[in-house]
Amino acid sequence: VQCRRRRPGVAATAVALGVFLILLSGCGDLSRDELTRGVESIAALAAQGQLVANGVARDATKSTYARVMAKTLGGETEHEAEKLADAEPSPEVRRERNAAVQVATELADLFSELQTFPGDEHHGALVEKHMGEVGAQAEALVERLGGDAG
Amino acid sequence: MKTVLKIALGIIAALGGFLDIGDIVFNTQAGALFRYDLLWAVVLGTLGIAVYAEMCGRVAAVTGRPVFDVIRMRLGFGLGLAALIASTAVNLLTVAAELGGLAIVLQLLFDAEFSLFVVLAAIGLVIVVALLPFGGIERLFGYCGLLMIVFVATAINQGPDWGAVAQGFVPSLSSSTLYLYFVVGVFAAALMPYEVHFYSSGAVEEHWDESSLKENRLNAIIGYALGGVLACSLVVVSGYLFHPVGVDPSDLGTAALPAQNAYGETGLLLALGGIMFCVGGAAVDSSFSASYNLAQFLGWEWGRYRGPKKAPRFTASWLVFLFLAMLVVLSGINPVEITEYSVVFAVVALPMTYLPVLMIAGDRSFMGDHANGPISRTLGWTYFALILVLALAALPLLLATNGGGG
Repeated sequence: VQCRRRRPGVAATAVALGVFLILLSGCGDLSRDELTRGVESIAALAAQGQLVANGVARDATKSTYARVMAKTLGGETEHEAEKLADAEPSPEVRRERNAAVQVATELADLFSELQTFPGDEHHGALVEKHMGEVGAQAEALVERLGGDAG
Repeated sequence: MKTVLKIALGIIAALGGFLDIGDIVFNTQAGALFRYDLLWAVVLGTLGIAVYAEMCGRVAAVTGRPVFDVIRMRLGFGLGLAALIASTAVNLLTVAAELGGLAIVLQLLFDAEFSLFVVLAAIGLVIVVALLPFGGIERLFGYCGLLMIVFVATAINQGPDWGAVAQGFVPSLSSSTLYLYFVVGVFAAALMPYEVHFYSSGAVEEHWDESSLKENRLNAIIGYALGGVLACSLVVVSGYLFHPVGVDPSDLGTAALPAQNAYGETGLLLALGGIMFCVGGAAVDSSFSASYNLAQFLGWEWGRYRGPKKAPRFTASWLVFLFLAMLVVLSGINPVEITEYSVVFAVVALPMTYLPVLMIAGDRSFMGDHANGPISRTLGWTYFALILVLALAALPLLLATNGGGG
């Protein structure tokens, strides 16, 4: 009987501890490593977007495919931008965090343009070129984050 | 001549039906992340499924007993029930992943609401199963799944560094948890339990007997070996195109990009068509497997050949599984994430599927002269040891890598 009485207390403590740990893990400053991972994701999305845009530029794709892919990848990019914008950066990476949000926002706009013109070769070529530039910016940012850490 | 043709058609169906969403997702991601380094794991998994499929087909042909019948008989009610619950949960996740994959491909082809395509895909599968006999279903998805050959052509067209590709077939391990996670994923994707449940129940559906043993061996060995070539081609094309530029193929549609890159719109359509039939076929196989297992465990009448009137509970359970899978996909969980979880959880359920098969296939009192010989026995137990190790490692690796997210 005693054991039964004790159980709710133990369970409540365990739940409280779990909630505390979850909150703790989500409440810290955005670290350099986390930011680097986020920017790497943006660079990967830009590379993927470039391949999709290349298909549009060469008239070598189906417009429904290009539109759906642009929408999906654009959504992932926006999500990444929101995550970075919402996070509280540690002071030494604040500038890089802001730059990363800007790069992600620019990339999301390019995906939006690709989604609007999935069958236009001229737009496809422009988007492909710009995505290459945005990807290069993201990679430079990754290098800067790595370099500053060292 | 008729027998040769029948065997050839069986091999072609096994080849075309080899890949499912798990293979497509894990092999494409493995290529993007580790270039050609995990090709050996694909070969290891392919050999494993060939070994166990051959055993399951042989047991079904000789004793008339499919896998779950054997599981219940060998493990008894309690452990058998645990195996049933584990495999049903994994099968349900697998059906959901395949159905979601089918809806993604339809969306890429016709661009409308994803949820609409989930419902349409489920209705389409019900219609196909209602209209076609068992052999027809197998052939439809198996033959059309051959469109995946476009990935082999793409790999050749890309002209990769074949020396580096060959190097990838040499087993190598790394201390990286992400690499180990993908070793488990690539291996397990080839050995999903539903594949042997379906294969052995299919043998009973097609009334195999001892005269079918040659057909069984050739289907399992040649069909699956050629299927392994398709799986390897996914790693190669992804390693060539995605790895150097750092693409993370977390969407099913990305898997078709290499074919588009090599052959333009035609390549894209062939790739999407191939993926559609592979995941569509796997949706039928895995949902049938869930119903086969339940019916065989509970002693219900089962089998597509019996029809809904003679096997009403089997038919109803199949519809229920498909409906539940549809609800899982409609809940908004990404089908690719469902795939990753279903493959990793399947590893944990693998020993309970493969141990009873291994035991019964080696039992001379049941199998007579067709019991496992030295080669089957050695391969079978070696693979079982490997499966045990992977089953223990799967969940820690899933947690350590944040579900493969690194």
